[in-house]
Amino acid sequence: MSTVSVLPPDAEEISRGGFNRFVGPFYKLADPEPGGAWRYVFVAAARHMNAAGSVHGGMLMTFMDVAMSRTTRLAAGAKSLSTVSLSCDFVGPGRLGDLIEARVRVVRATRSFVFMSGEVVARGRPLMNAAGLWKIVP
Amino acid sequence: MNAPAGYTETKLIDPFEVFVGPVFERREDGVRRFAFVVDERHVNMRGVLHGGMLMTFADLALGAAVWDATDNAPCVTLNMQTQFLKSARAGDLVEVAPQLTRRTRSLVFMRGDFTVAGGTIMTAASIWKLLNAG
Repeated sequence: MSTVSVLPPDAEEISRGGFNRFVGPFYKLADPEPGGAWRYVFVAAARHMNAAGSVHGGMLMTFMDVAMSRTTRLAAGAKSLSTVSLSCDFVGPGRLGDLIEARVRVVRATRSFVFMSGEVVARGRPLMNAAGLWKIVP
Repeated sequence: MNAPAGYTETKLIDPFEVFVGPVFERREDGVRRFAFVVDERHVNMRGVLHGGMLMTFADLALGAAVWDATDNAPCVTLNMQTQFLKSARAGDLVEVAPQLTRRTRSLVFMRGDFTVAGGTIMTAASIWKLLNAG
């Protein structure tokens, strides 16, 4: 039996169009303190699942792609950007109704690149561990 | 949607794959190749194929290749690494011929070059755990 999670009051929807909106909605939480992690959430719905009753790995990778893209935009002031590489470890399963949170830290930002680390958690447990490299397009 | 020439539609069971599909397959030299046609649902607001869709397709195609290589053994993705080389747009046919890199008693290593019109747009490598291997 699952329960539908309630969104935190500071959740701001960031999926305005395209694939983000199609698979989302995704939300950003309040901006972090300096040096802190940028935080994002979505609620696992029936369409996000696999046949084994876990959140599909493709959905979790999509979530991390959205979270790191948005972090590149916000933390580096980048208007145009693209994913260069993303590595994801699948640590544990997400369940239907979970409030799933991504935490993204900027490891280093140069003029052209942003290096990030990220984790996805739900119910206080880790679901995914990620490393991402994004390019800022001038 | 009609299947691209030479392909038949892949039977999908995961709700998320059904949601973003359809996906197509064809047999060549005894192994399955997979493809999907980028449509308006799959692109971002700049009209470029979303990395999330490409990674979802990679997970689906490489996972199906693991089943084919193991007589449908139950398995889960442990890790996936992706490199994005070029962009794709609505109407493009994205294809992959998954390659088995190595199989051990408990792990399968898979990789694939994802192409549009013969040019590679993404490479992916994933590691799968076989659940009944102990």
